Amino acid sequence: MSISLSHLTKHYGKTNAVNDVSAEIGHGSLTAILGPSGSGKSTLLKLISGLERPDEGTVVIDGDDVTKVDPRHRDIGFCFQHYAPFRHMNVAKNVAFGLKVRRRPAKEIDARVDELLALVKLEGKAKSYPSQLSGGERQRMALARALAIEPRVLLLDEPFGALDAVVRAELRHWLKELHGQIHVTTVLVTHDQQEAMEVADQLIVMRSGRVVQSGNPLSLYESPATDFVHEFLGPSTMFQGQVTRPHDLELVSVYQGTVKGRITSIVSLGFEAQVTVELSDGTTTWVQLSRNEISTMGLRVALLVGVRRREDDV
Amino acid sequence: MRARWTLRTVVLAYLGILIGLPVVFLVLKAFGHGFGAFWGEVTQTDALSALKLSLIIAAVAVPINTVVGVGAALLIARHDFIGKRIFDTIFDVPVAISPIIIGVSLVLAYSRIGWFGAPLARWGLNVLFTPLGVALATMSVSLPYVLRSIVPVLTEIGQDQEHAARTLGAGRLRIFWNVTLPSIRWAVLYGVTLTIARTLGEFGAVLVVSGNITGVTQTLPIYIYDSWDQRFDVLGSYSGALVLALISVAVLSILAVLRRRERKLLVDFA
Repeated sequence: MSISLSHLTKHYGKTNAVNDVSAEIGHGSLTAILGPSGSGKSTLLKLISGLERPDEGTVVIDGDDVTKVDPRHRDIGFCFQHYAPFRHMNVAKNVAFGLKVRRRPAKEIDARVDELLALVKLEGKAKSYPSQLSGGERQRMALARALAIEPRVLLLDEPFGALDAVVRAELRHWLKELHGQIHVTTVLVTHDQQEAMEVADQLIVMRSGRVVQSGNPLSLYESPATDFVHEFLGPSTMFQGQVTRPHDLELVSVYQGTVKGRITSIVSLGFEAQVTVELSDGTTTWVQLSRNEISTMGLRVALLVGVRRREDDV
Repeated sequence: MRARWTLRTVVLAYLGILIGLPVVFLVLKAFGHGFGAFWGEVTQTDALSALKLSLIIAAVAVPINTVVGVGAALLIARHDFIGKRIFDTIFDVPVAISPIIIGVSLVLAYSRIGWFGAPLARWGLNVLFTPLGVALATMSVSLPYVLRSIVPVLTEIGQDQEHAARTLGAGRLRIFWNVTLPSIRWAVLYGVTLTIARTLGEFGAVLVVSGNITGVTQTLPIYIYDSWDQRFDVLGSYSGALVLALISVAVLSILAVLRRRERKLLVDFA
């Protein structure tokens, strides 16, 4: 189901958490709202869910204007940053909650809960309490609970924020797979650009309550609309007064370079290395090279080199 | 090592002087003329009617204050409104000031020439020197206990679970019964226990508004005081005091168990 946001604005006191935001979220897409903390991304998610009401603007889900509809009638699945499990209910009862509210017959509920627990790989944990689950298991339980009501839209607030690196990576892959299986329109909020690039097929980049740019991850990475997006979406450096990706620069002999300079440090990070160069125009830039390039060119600190953009990028 | 033992001895001695010895003497004196005499005192008409009134007042005051306390706690922890701080503070007034002041204020408000008292009297409803007045005084002094036990827990658990329930389609009532109440149940019970203890034990405020009418407005604490000070029936006083003390010990024991369970529940989830 598609979501269409137009001119959404939300103030808290004098701060403008969300400022005239419009965006289209396609049916079946997995969209990431990406931005630094305080950019208004979580507020935007709450506005879509109805847990917050906008001061201005409208939220349309699948053609229905739901701006004034209570969250309980919006048919949305919301996963909270800290999962918000019902602590006094076991896993099965947590997952069954939305179905019980809808007064489905007990048999149907039991069958659906079994099915969902299998989907999120928590078959053996039906009788466990949230306090007995690991972080990743709580997250999956929260997802099963949200999916139980067959929501039109699934909303995830910083879904992997509270997990350690290994579990995070596993869950990301799993979420992507799950989305491939069930195709529910999903919106997730994150401050982690790597996470967003890896999971999402659409990005909405926010800053200070506004949408800076939206589109598919690759196009945003390749042609960022502003320096902010450029810097936020990946490694970046300054060259000739412009923000540039460090892997779009190369080192050549002093005479071939657009600008010449002196290498001040080489930091090796396994396969790749970061080479910092003090340029003759008084600025400093850094270039991302492979280990091979470093050794074949015989690069070392204090060497004079030329710097230019890679040919295919010019 | 020695310092620890010294500290323990000092603390135990202090507790002994303040609580232990007086209680031991109370027990000895209450049974000074044998169990039969004690039982005789406890089962006399006036003592029984005082005990009965105390229990009835508790049965009325505790549920009302529990409902009011839970409602007010939800207002304070979950809603913003103008005057919230004043509202919050008012609940502490009854325990912050001396009960005798509560008693005197109630007399001023509800006497036949008082603000509320005069119109109520015209309706044929008398508050002062009636069990109704005793109930009002008791409810007033035991007002904040449920509220104060719940608010920190509500703040601690936050609103996420309630919001989750809402997105899953639950209405306000269902959220309260199935999500909010179960997560604060131990805190509510803790508050209820404190309320019971205070309700049964209240003396000052009740003394002022009750008029101390034996068999009508005399609660157990006032009966104890009355036997000892007015009727020179020391054995009756000791016996009544022992009964009241036993009830309080029972309530405190329940409290200790609840506290442990509540702490366990919180630690489990940390």
